[in-house]
Amino acid sequence: MSSEVKKLIHKYMPDSPMSRFGKIFTDSTEFMSIDYSDVMKLGNEHFLVLKNEQERRFGLVDPKYWVKRVKHLESGQSQILKLAFYETFPMHIGPFEIKCYRSPRKEARILDLVKGDMRFMQGYSKDDIAGNNVRVLDIIRGKRLDVVVDDIPVDHKTYFHEYFPDIFEKFMDACEAISFLHSHDEKHGDIRRDHLWVESGTGAYRWIDFDYAFELYENPFALDIFGLKSILVYIVGKANLTMQTLLELRTENSILNTLNSGDYSVVIGNRVVNVQKIYNYIPNSLNNILMHLSSSSSVFYESVDEILVDMNKSLKEIRSL
Amino acid sequence: MTLNKILVAFDGSENSFKAVEYVGDIVKHYPISRVLILYVERLQDKDLYPDDEIWVSQCRKNEEEMTEKLSLAKQSLIKQGACADVVTEQYFASCKSPFHNTDICTTGRSIGMDILRIREEGNYDTVVIGRRGVSKAEEFLFGSVSTKVVQSASDCTVWVVN
Repeated sequence: MSSEVKKLIHKYMPDSPMSRFGKIFTDSTEFMSIDYSDVMKLGNEHFLVLKNEQERRFGLVDPKYWVKRVKHLESGQSQILKLAFYETFPMHIGPFEIKCYRSPRKEARILDLVKGDMRFMQGYSKDDIAGNNVRVLDIIRGKRLDVVVDDIPVDHKTYFHEYFPDIFEKFMDACEAISFLHSHDEKHGDIRRDHLWVESGTGAYRWIDFDYAFELYENPFALDIFGLKSILVYIVGKANLTMQTLLELRTENSILNTLNSGDYSVVIGNRVVNVQKIYNYIPNSLNNILMHLSSSSSVFYESVDEILVDMNKSLKEIRSL
Repeated sequence: MTLNKILVAFDGSENSFKAVEYVGDIVKHYPISRVLILYVERLQDKDLYPDDEIWVSQCRKNEEEMTEKLSLAKQSLIKQGACADVVTEQYFASCKSPFHNTDICTTGRSIGMDILRIREEGNYDTVVIGRRGVSKAEEFLFGSVSTKVVQSASDCTVWVVN
C-alpha cells in the first residue's frame, strides 16, 4: 500500500520532500488509524492526510481525530475532511446541560443547502465504501470574529464609534444567514463566537460547523437565537463583561455600584448585558436589544427576523451619531 | 363562562395526566358536549440517529407508548364520570412522521401554536394544559408550550394546571 501512496505523491506532488508514505484508506470507520501520510480515497479523488485538527478551548488542546487536514492531490488544494463520528456530548450553557449529538448527515444537508452562499463554509459530502458520510470542506483563512474584535487596539469609545458600525452591519448579514437556515427548517446548532469567522482578504463573516443536533424544544430555534444575542453582547462590549473583566478594565466604582441582578444575563448569571450602564454612549435602540437577554426582561425574541428588525433600526441610529 | 367543548393538551407527562384529572373533576359537575385529549407529536429528530432504520424504530416505539398513554387518559376521564361518547383522543402526527401521510400535521415549529390552531378549528372554548414549572432561563433557552398557549390564545379560556 505504501508504494501506491508513494506513486500518488510522486505523480501529484513531485517536489514534495515527504519520505514517509502511509496507506490508502477507502473506509473511514476506524478514523483513529488514519494519520499523517495516509491517503483517504473517495470515489476517484485522493486526499493526503497532513494532520488531525485540534480544538483549543480553555487553554487545552484537544485533538479531533475525526477531522483531518488534507491535501486534495488532484487539485493541490488544502482541505478538511470531517469523518463520520457519532458522538453524544453535553453542551453547557450557564447552569444548563444540553445533550448534543454530532450528526454528519445534518452537516452534509446544510452544505448542500448553502452551496455557493459565502456566508457559510463551503464543501460537499461523499460516502466512503462503507457508507460513512465524509464531508470535504474548504478551509477558511482568517480569524474568529471575537479575536478580531478583541485585537482592535483602541479604547471602547473609539471602537464603538469608529469600528463597531461596520462590524454590526456585517454581523447583521451573518444573522440573516441564520434566518435563511431557519426558513429551511434547519438549525446551525452551535452558534458561539468561535464558529463565526472573518475571512482574510474579503473580510466576509462566515459560519462554520453545522454538525450539532439536539432534542427539539417548544422553540426549535431558541438556542440559535440565544447564540446570536450572546455574540452581539460580546461585540458591543468588546469583551465578555463580568465583574472580573470590569475590574480589569478599571471601571469606576460609581458605575459598578449601580449594577443590579436585572443587568445580568438571564442564562449566564455573571455576564453583564446592560452594556449601556458601563458605556453610556450606547444608544437605547441597541441596548434594548441586549436587554432582551437580561434577567429583568419578560419578553424574548422568538425569531431571528424579530431581532433583525430591531438591529436595522439601531444601525440607522448608530450611523447617524 | 362558556364550558361546552374542552381541549386538553396532553404530552404523556405526569403534569398532563394531572390536567386530565382536573378536567375529570369538572366534568362530574358540568354537562360537557365534548372533551378532546390532544397529543401533538414531538417527533424525534432524524439527525440524532446514524441511520433511518434506527430512527423509524424509535419513532414507532414512541408512538406506541404515547397511543397507550392517550388511551389511559381517556379511560381515566371515563372512570371519573365522563360519558364515553363525549371523550375522544387525537394523536396529531408530525409532517415528518414515517407512518402518517397527511397534509394536516405538525411542522414542529411550535407545539403551542398547533394546539391553538386545532382549538380554533374545532371551536373548543377551553384549553387545559399542564405546566412543568420551568425557570425563566429555561423558558428563554427552550421555550415553553404552556407560556406560548397563554400568551397567544384568543377567544378562549386557558386553564393552566400546576
